[in-house]
Amino acid sequence: MIIIGESIHVIATSIRKAIEDRDKAFIQKLAKRQADDGANVIDLNVGPQKKHGAEVMPWMVETIQEITDLPLCLDTTNSVAIEAGLKVCKNKAIINSTDATEERLTALMPLAAKYNCDIIALSLAKVGLPTTADARIELAAEILAVAEAEGVPSDHIWLDPLVLTINGNQDQALQTIEAVRFFKQMADPAPMTTCGLSNISNSCPEELRPLLNRVFMVMMAGAGLDSCIADALDEKLMEVVKILTDRDDSTPKGKLYLGLYDCYQEGEMYDTSTADMSDPEISDIVKTVKALQNESLYAHGYLKL
Amino acid sequence: MPSVEIPLEKWTGQVHQVTLGAGGRKTVTVGGENTLPYLHFDGTIPNKTAVAIEIQDIAPADWSPTLLKAWGDVVNDPATWAKKAVEYGAEAILLNLKSAHPDEGNTGIAEAKAVTDKILSAVDVPLIVIGTGVADKDNEILPAVSEAARGQRIAIGNCEEKNYRTVVAVCIADGHIAIPSSPVDLNLAKQLNILLTDAGLPIDAILMDPTTGALGYGLEYTYSVMERLRMAGLGGDKLTAMPIINNVGEDAWKQKEAKVAQGLPESWGDMETRGIIWEEQTAISLMQAGSNLVVLRHPQSVAKVGAAITKLMG
Repeated sequence: MIIIGESIHVIATSIRKAIEDRDKAFIQKLAKRQADDGANVIDLNVGPQKKHGAEVMPWMVETIQEITDLPLCLDTTNSVAIEAGLKVCKNKAIINSTDATEERLTALMPLAAKYNCDIIALSLAKVGLPTTADARIELAAEILAVAEAEGVPSDHIWLDPLVLTINGNQDQALQTIEAVRFFKQMADPAPMTTCGLSNISNSCPEELRPLLNRVFMVMMAGAGLDSCIADALDEKLMEVVKILTDRDDSTPKGKLYLGLYDCYQEGEMYDTSTADMSDPEISDIVKTVKALQNESLYAHGYLKL
Repeated sequence: MPSVEIPLEKWTGQVHQVTLGAGGRKTVTVGGENTLPYLHFDGTIPNKTAVAIEIQDIAPADWSPTLLKAWGDVVNDPATWAKKAVEYGAEAILLNLKSAHPDEGNTGIAEAKAVTDKILSAVDVPLIVIGTGVADKDNEILPAVSEAARGQRIAIGNCEEKNYRTVVAVCIADGHIAIPSSPVDLNLAKQLNILLTDAGLPIDAILMDPTTGALGYGLEYTYSVMERLRMAGLGGDKLTAMPIINNVGEDAWKQKEAKVAQGLPESWGDMETRGIIWEEQTAISLMQAGSNLVVLRHPQSVAKVGAAITKLMG
């Protein structure tokens, strides 16, 4: 699982300030922490930067390149800022992101071709949020067609099925999982897949969010998720990434996560009825699987049941 | 002719049965069905949808002229109003403590207790008491209401995330039913039920109010939320299987279709007829989505909805 570390994000006041003040040390420290904790790519969300995009993004890229060779994910809606950033990228770069709208595809796909870089593409169009796996697959097909026309290899495209929160869109978790499974078969070489992991727990209580995120990641990984934009500083998330990578079944938790992964790899639902619910840690994970599999209606207090 | 077999749905769950009224009062039992509304061929529906009439502790200032005309002078005395409502077929009375609202008079504990006592003496059908919706104020007056009705199993609302602890505590202490109210939100409706039962309230002491959108004003959204709650409950989820109460009158009569006579196209027809139809159609639609207790305002819609229930119960 490739973790695209999401911590450098303009939504945080401290980051916004560091960008305004051109505070290299602050940004570098945060990039370093993510790299040390196992991030494989560093996301650089600078916001739209309508006025100063062409200056801020290269500054950001160069700031990070001083301390790490990790690939960078250039995250802004401003295509001028993206191109300015790409020009100074020494290592692999990923554009974050286009979607299936003509406007964004026209602005960004040619950049992916010109700079021979990767690009994240959301299965999202103007007509509203996709609510089925099929709707997501149709949009992904449109994206891949544009990529081919522009000469961008299919494995440079990181398809993102657009994860929606379990609180209100509970049936969507399985739809995104099935979309990812299909995405991997849509072209040769296979497209990459990614997602904004924490979307699954939007509007859920803070104390529940990391659990929902990591359990969902395992299910998505089984279905073919190559990467996710996630919190690399979340130790428990990174512990689960390691369990999957090492196939470490030495603990009951490891055994459970690998069982869940294998199940989703086979395209099956996980049978939650056989788990040992006497172990609180196991029981919380299984209850979360049940909620994500839409077996019982989600409520913030689901762990109490 | 080949015979056609009607496919049957087998649900594993059942709506909890809740009984209002005790201690010598008449009782009304709702819920208990193990199938979707009125699908008698699919399962059993032991109790019919109940109809309550809403009255207020002060003469309503903002009600449609159609309603005021129908009730006449009785709106000036809650006890007389309650008696009249029972004559018109109310199986329960919903008492809205309107005067306690900080913007409507801000009356206190003494008044809330007095009017509760008055209604309990005036009629023998079950009572539902709704507070102001202002959590702090309700925390003050609802315990007094509860105490006044101790042992008579009234239903008390609204109970939200902010004030559920107080409502649950008094319901447990005095043997009442709580009405958790969620803003047309499936997940929050279940969450409130979790909180209430977790705080010790028995599962058969909850009537849930998913909040009602009137015909033309979000009815279909309420419908969908109720239907999904009901299907989850019938699917075996005990924390969504509470009987549903809908305060239909309040929402239906707020809309201009129900209360405006001037400046509308002639084709909209007579205001009185229109208002009654608005309430009736909102109620019947929500009954099809799983309502177990509808609260109405107009005597004629009570009659019409009552007739529809009789037909639907076969």
